[in-house]
Amino acid sequence: MKSKIPAFLIERTSVQPYVPSKGRLKKSFIEKGIDHLAEVIKSGYVQWETSLMDSIFHRIDARIKLLFLLFFVVIVSLKHQIVPEFYIAGFIFLLTLIAGLNTLQFYKKVLFLGFFFGFLVALPSALNVISRGEVVVPILHLSRDYNFWVYHIPAEIGMTREGLNAVSMLTIRVVNSVSLSFLVLFTTPFPEIIKALKVMRVPDSFIMIITLCYKYIFIFVKTVEDMHLAKKSRTVGQVNNAEARQWVGARIGSVFKKTQLRCEEIFKAMLGRGFSTEIRLYQSRKLSSHDIAAGGIFLVIGGLFLWM
Amino acid sequence: MDVAQGGPIMRLEGIGYSYHNRIPAVEEVDLTISEGEKFAIIGANGTGKSTLMQIMSGLVHQTAGKIFFRDQEVSEQALKNRSFLKYFRERVGYVFQDSDVQLFCPTVLDELLYGPLQLNVNEDEAMDRAREVMKMLEIENLRDRPTYMLSGGEKKRVAIGSVLTMNPEVMLFDEPTNGLDPRTQCFLIELLVALSEAGKTLVIATHDLSLVSELETMVALLSENHRVAKIGTSEEILNDEALLLKANLIHEHIHYHGKEAHKHSHSHFLFHRHSE
Repeated sequence: MKSKIPAFLIERTSVQPYVPSKGRLKKSFIEKGIDHLAEVIKSGYVQWETSLMDSIFHRIDARIKLLFLLFFVVIVSLKHQIVPEFYIAGFIFLLTLIAGLNTLQFYKKVLFLGFFFGFLVALPSALNVISRGEVVVPILHLSRDYNFWVYHIPAEIGMTREGLNAVSMLTIRVVNSVSLSFLVLFTTPFPEIIKALKVMRVPDSFIMIITLCYKYIFIFVKTVEDMHLAKKSRTVGQVNNAEARQWVGARIGSVFKKTQLRCEEIFKAMLGRGFSTEIRLYQSRKLSSHDIAAGGIFLVIGGLFLWM
Repeated sequence: MDVAQGGPIMRLEGIGYSYHNRIPAVEEVDLTISEGEKFAIIGANGTGKSTLMQIMSGLVHQTAGKIFFRDQEVSEQALKNRSFLKYFRERVGYVFQDSDVQLFCPTVLDELLYGPLQLNVNEDEAMDRAREVMKMLEIENLRDRPTYMLSGGEKKRVAIGSVLTMNPEVMLFDEPTNGLDPRTQCFLIELLVALSEAGKTLVIATHDLSLVSELETMVALLSENHRVAKIGTSEEILNDEALLLKANLIHEHIHYHGKEAHKHSHSHFLFHRHSE
């Protein structure tokens, strides 16, 4: 082996000591993206940790919690006034306190999603170009009205009272629905949620897709993170955005190939352990009086919200 | 022939790291690695070997303590400096435990050329390096093959080759013999000896005691509480059966000679010997 060592490997890189010089490297968009991906694993870990906490809400059976989630999401979308929606938001806040969740972190996530998928998405619909009504926030004045195909553009463009009401309703609905989902997600271990879905007769194919997706996300993120580290270990200097895009483009193919191979292996492992097409889970525990009482309370409170 | 060892090339002072700021992986690790030295970090699964290696390669950053390469501090901040990043990366190479994640280029040749081209080595020289490394690692026939179509042993050779073409002074190997067949393991040990004789500083994270014994390295043993339990020569560490037992690197083995039960420490390489 020694005789085979190439001459360049015996040469020392450089005996010169390091001479500091200026020239900062900016964090590339890839690095920032990978940091965010790493957050996915962290949030998965946080979900696992918070779901194992002990509180009255945590102790409720996953089936009751899922029914509660479905029932309340329906109530949230049935209400047409903003006041009952705020009452529901207050009730969810109370439940997060009972569950002992970190409310600040919890509402940071909820409001972020509510802002993007509720407020920002719906905001253009508040313009009088889309929803007719009394303009309360004027934005632009044109010299005259314009008619274009089926559209009518009035001389005064602005937000209407009706439009703003609709945006507020949609935002609070999104906030309420997201906070309900997060409340159940952060207080129930993932395998329990899957088991509850199975008990509630959700089709096996759907459960399998959810389970595999959940696992796939973690495997995918870990693969991408490790590949990024491998690249980092052999990269010197700044990578410009064009090169970074090129690298990401080329790597998407290789990550796809790797994950496809991994997927085939996992499927073989499933077949090897007798998987046919039906998902079999071990027997769920029986509902306790505590679960039934909690279910009853949710039902009564839900009924109250519906009546309001 | 042993290459004379120089001064310290890498120094770790009170290194600590925890995942998600909650799960400790490494705690208060102090190490000094000399130039040209063969150094093994051994420990059972989950003691923090891989994390420590990634910290040493500047890929993840410690949450406590300091790390120095030739008296220059290696920190997240320092690695943002263009010239220091180049200085560090061309001198420290890292071979990942999982070759699959290390190989991200379309073909074996692309993989071998990636590092030198990053270091601004001219194309002809990079090609020469790749050719020579392929010859040394006996992978010339794999030159144009996609990396996902390689066997485990071939992937390991290509992963090592991809770092060798950068010609680093320090090579960090994370579990290099994991999952390799005996012939590839033997090839790898010969390669490590040859690289050491060529003057490279080798740092190996492993729980393969036979590798440590064959390479006669300096050894730092990580305990299950993620701290350095002992540093010494391979002979000192491997002869300390009580320590190896405590560190979960060997186990108590009971078997029968006829009707008589017999107990001894056992490892699949070194300690299958019967005490009195």
